[in-house]
Amino acid sequence: MNKPIHPAAVSAQAFQVADLRPTDRLFDDEDGADRLQKALSRYPEKRAALLPMLGYAQERNGWVSAAAMEEIAQVLELTPAYVRSVVTFYTMYNEHPVGRHLIQVCTCISCHLHEADEVFEKFLGETGTRAGEVSDDGRFTVIEAECLGACGFATAVQVNDRYFENVSPGDVPAILEELD
Amino acid sequence: MSDAPKDITLTIDEAEVTVEAGTTVLQAAERAGIVVPHYCYHPGIPSRPAQCRMCLVEIEGQPKLQPSCVFPAQDGMVVHTESEDARKARQSVIEFLLLNHPLDCPICDAAGQCMLQDYAFETGQLKSRYAEAKVVLGRDRIADDILYFGDRCIICTRCVRFMEDLAGDNALVVAQRGHKAYIDTFPGRDLDHAFRGNIVDVCPVGALVHEDFVFKARAWDMDSAPGICPGCSTGCNIDINVTENQIVRVKPRYNPDVNSYWMCDHGRRLPVVSNRAVRAEAPLIRVDEELEPASWNEALEWTAERLKAGPGTALVSAGESCESLFYLRLLLKDLGIAGGTFRVGSGDEATLPGFPKLKLRAERAPNVAGARLVGFNTAEELPSVSDGATLVALGDSLWDAPSDYGVNAGFFLYAGSHLVPATANATAIFPAALPPEMEGTLINYEGRVQRFHRALRAPGVARPAWMSLSRLLEHRGAGKGALDIRAAFSSMAAVTRGLDELSWDDLGLRGRSLSEAGEPALVADREE
Amino acid sequence: MGFPYSHDLETTTQMSRHFGEEKARTLEGWKSLGGYAALPTALEMEPSEITDVVKESGLRGRGGAGFPTGVKWSFMPQEPDGPHYLCCNADESEPGAFKDREILRWVPHLLIEGCLIAARAIRAAHVYVYVRGEYFPYSRILAEAVVEAYEAGLAGENILDSGWTCDVTVHIGAGAYIAGEETGLMSSLMGGRAEPWIKPPFPAQSGAFGRPTTVNNVETLAAVPMILSEGSAWYRQWGTERSPGTKLWCCSGHLVRPGTYELPLGMPLRNVIHEVCGGAPNGRRIKAVIPGGSSTAMLTGDELDCETTYEGMAEAGSSLGTASPIVMDEDTDMVRAMLRIAQFYAHESCGQCVQCREGTAWVAKILQRIDEGDGTMADLDTLYHLCDQLTGRTICPLADSVVFPLRSSLDKFRGEYESLISR
Repeated sequence: MNKPIHPAAVSAQAFQVADLRPTDRLFDDEDGADRLQKALSRYPEKRAALLPMLGYAQERNGWVSAAAMEEIAQVLELTPAYVRSVVTFYTMYNEHPVGRHLIQVCTCISCHLHEADEVFEKFLGETGTRAGEVSDDGRFTVIEAECLGACGFATAVQVNDRYFENVSPGDVPAILEELD
Repeated sequence: MSDAPKDITLTIDEAEVTVEAGTTVLQAAERAGIVVPHYCYHPGIPSRPAQCRMCLVEIEGQPKLQPSCVFPAQDGMVVHTESEDARKARQSVIEFLLLNHPLDCPICDAAGQCMLQDYAFETGQLKSRYAEAKVVLGRDRIADDILYFGDRCIICTRCVRFMEDLAGDNALVVAQRGHKAYIDTFPGRDLDHAFRGNIVDVCPVGALVHEDFVFKARAWDMDSAPGICPGCSTGCNIDINVTENQIVRVKPRYNPDVNSYWMCDHGRRLPVVSNRAVRAEAPLIRVDEELEPASWNEALEWTAERLKAGPGTALVSAGESCESLFYLRLLLKDLGIAGGTFRVGSGDEATLPGFPKLKLRAERAPNVAGARLVGFNTAEELPSVSDGATLVALGDSLWDAPSDYGVNAGFFLYAGSHLVPATANATAIFPAALPPEMEGTLINYEGRVQRFHRALRAPGVARPAWMSLSRLLEHRGAGKGALDIRAAFSSMAAVTRGLDELSWDDLGLRGRSLSEAGEPALVADREE
Repeated sequence: MGFPYSHDLETTTQMSRHFGEEKARTLEGWKSLGGYAALPTALEMEPSEITDVVKESGLRGRGGAGFPTGVKWSFMPQEPDGPHYLCCNADESEPGAFKDREILRWVPHLLIEGCLIAARAIRAAHVYVYVRGEYFPYSRILAEAVVEAYEAGLAGENILDSGWTCDVTVHIGAGAYIAGEETGLMSSLMGGRAEPWIKPPFPAQSGAFGRPTTVNNVETLAAVPMILSEGSAWYRQWGTERSPGTKLWCCSGHLVRPGTYELPLGMPLRNVIHEVCGGAPNGRRIKAVIPGGSSTAMLTGDELDCETTYEGMAEAGSSLGTASPIVMDEDTDMVRAMLRIAQFYAHESCGQCVQCREGTAWVAKILQRIDEGDGTMADLDTLYHLCDQLTGRTICPLADSVVFPLRSSLDKFRGEYESLISR
């Protein structure tokens, strides 16, 4: 950790990242305790720190495990079941481990008009995976995404916290090349 | 300034109805005798998400149909629950709910009591336009005694909100979203709340079912009678569901002053379990050292002759009705025996935070207050019996007595339902009906006198203890036997402070509070 | 990649003037470009005065519904008995919409200033900027700007020594379109499933954390500083009486120059599509335009002579929405396009209301079957029936959102459905 995170920004940390810092216990180390304390300081209710802390769990481990849900439930005084209902509501929490690079291809309407389906197929073909699978080398997971909010620059592809825009099927090998 | 809410008058389907301000349109309609179909709304669950969209009604002046479960009734409002638009909306909700709903009514335990079945029948749309494959979810266990049939679930979230709003334990949730949503617990953490069984009752369809009820009975084959839960001193009002003279299910019966719509699982299980035991089915009298069956007349006469006034011991059960305890008290007076004790089991309390009055109370008997009212006191131990003295035991009071208990008594009368080791020493046994097999009253922890009705036939010639004891008194020339429960209750009420202003009919289905506070006592005793 | 595309409409680049300039992202750079000029003015004004200026400007909510912003602010209690909150809705998720991200990533300080002024107007103690989770790169830029603002005394305690305190927190979502609905946003902000709730209670009575809350779109708030600095009359030089000002347009689909453009309201839609964006590539004919984001009714290529105002688009049978036209050229398979849209809404339904939960999925399944060549004519009747039953029946407008494109698609391109069915 370089610069300490300002409390105003603590709930805005990217949680789909390639450089994981795995941990079994989220809030036992200084980093976790700091994140929790800062997030709690920004809301009048403890529960509101749930999304930021789920994000933190995924930022560290790459996915949100049942153990992480239980730990977060405990510190925020929620039930694990409640935490799970929230996790499963949103699409961005990985309920299973994913590849180091989670490749999300937008296939919604504007991207669909620009070969998104072909881009998606190309990613699957190039990585040798089926949708949602982790590639054998652990590098990639490719999934379809609903609108990524870059419709003017179709096809939009999100890889972890990065956007790739105007992607055509021909661009796919070069993108994969760039990812370690 | 007056805080009293003003009354408002509105028109619903051409019926005028006056209600308090703050009443919803759905409740106002109910007041006018108009049922607005609904799923997610449950009168006992405070949160009102208005999400099932079944109760949409047309309100003049509103551009869209409005959910009547949350829309406040207003003065002069004109509501149409059966307008073309409202009917179509309802019909389409049913159509939507049936898209992926399995057609398994023939094996569904809710069939016959299912709000989806009822409304589907009512809307009369028999053909599905759904040409797609149905989504299959299968079933899941969400508690050690509750199953979840995901395919039948309509995601009304009543169960989720019961756990959240009433039980205060957010252990049951909606997982996933949209058409993939289902109800679930956290993996590996089944529901273990003491009141969890209520989620089955609030389920408007057959998605949540008690495992011990699965495939046991069809709704239309069951008889039902109002009863009082024997589980603790709260005295929850219940409906006892019976088929073929067996209790198959117990459900809470609404009583706003006692248990609202709820009951705990301890109480729910008890009556079903009590189906099984060795029952006394005929009067027994000891002839030549052996207990021999006898007719009632024979047994009563035989006992009346042999029971002598003198020193004696009485023990009773707080599970017995007030009337039985009262007639035993009269018998004891006739024999010159004072006092008498009962023992009460105790257990952990469990609360329902959303309705704090309702608790599984530590005193695990339904009529502790009634037993005290007619002069019995609690004891920790079984009373000792002096050699040659009279011993009178009523009800379930000897379950743990050693097998030689009472063997030294001069006369040992047992009026109870179950045969246990110590009853083998009795001189006479009057087989007694259990509360579900008779009528009577019980008094709960806060002095509420409540009636229970008969749900089952008693085995053999077992009779309510009040009946046999009052006839015994008649045989002894110490009064007139009570022929029916009404007479028994009024005989008791006439001489019992606290009951003296109550009548059997007044008690109705919701009970009444004892009319006088303070230490209750038999008027008869007080006068002496 | 991305913005800006050069174009020749200089006079309307008010909000977007500095899009594309790295300098604008830093506090120092932004100040040198004239930023944070309106905040000191606002700090000297009474909250109601700020609201009045915004009311006079006629600014309407840019999140799609077009509700007058000043009027919305005036619903907030005038005498707070506890904290008020401002939620800035940056959960931009409507297919076709990508305008807010340009504000987030190029002029974050403009948004922060707008948030603070609005917070002052509604007496809010805390601003939560709810950014959709996928926008990591942009929420990061915004968060850095917020931290800069804190360090410069522009946010937090005693802002610019005025004695007024207001916190700003950037809060990111986790993938749910419905979090863009205002009550869904607040449900999510409070740590829940982003499920909309039935009103009442209205947010101005009981919103986030049970307190009076206003939810405003990013673009709405970004327009506030200039309105306050330059005055409402200045703002009204663009647009029409009922739809004043400029609007960010984000144009996608089959266009020569897709992208984000700031245009005066009232410009004919044809000009937006054909002149600003250059029409469809390779001289192809435009078959359809979904003008306001995927939840608005489709127009055919011949129906573009409408005025791009809230009222003008309504007159044309559609809606301005978020001004996010999705353009489809003559080769587009309209059934499959509609299928994509329907799948989106089925995927994003929160699942509370029965119609939406079951209906959106049913629509998608029927369209899928038609697309695969297994449709029947009766399916078209069923789809129309579903249009009726998904309209105005639910807590929030998500179900309605699938109906607008669906009904217009069935009406205007029925031939394509029929030819697939009879094939």
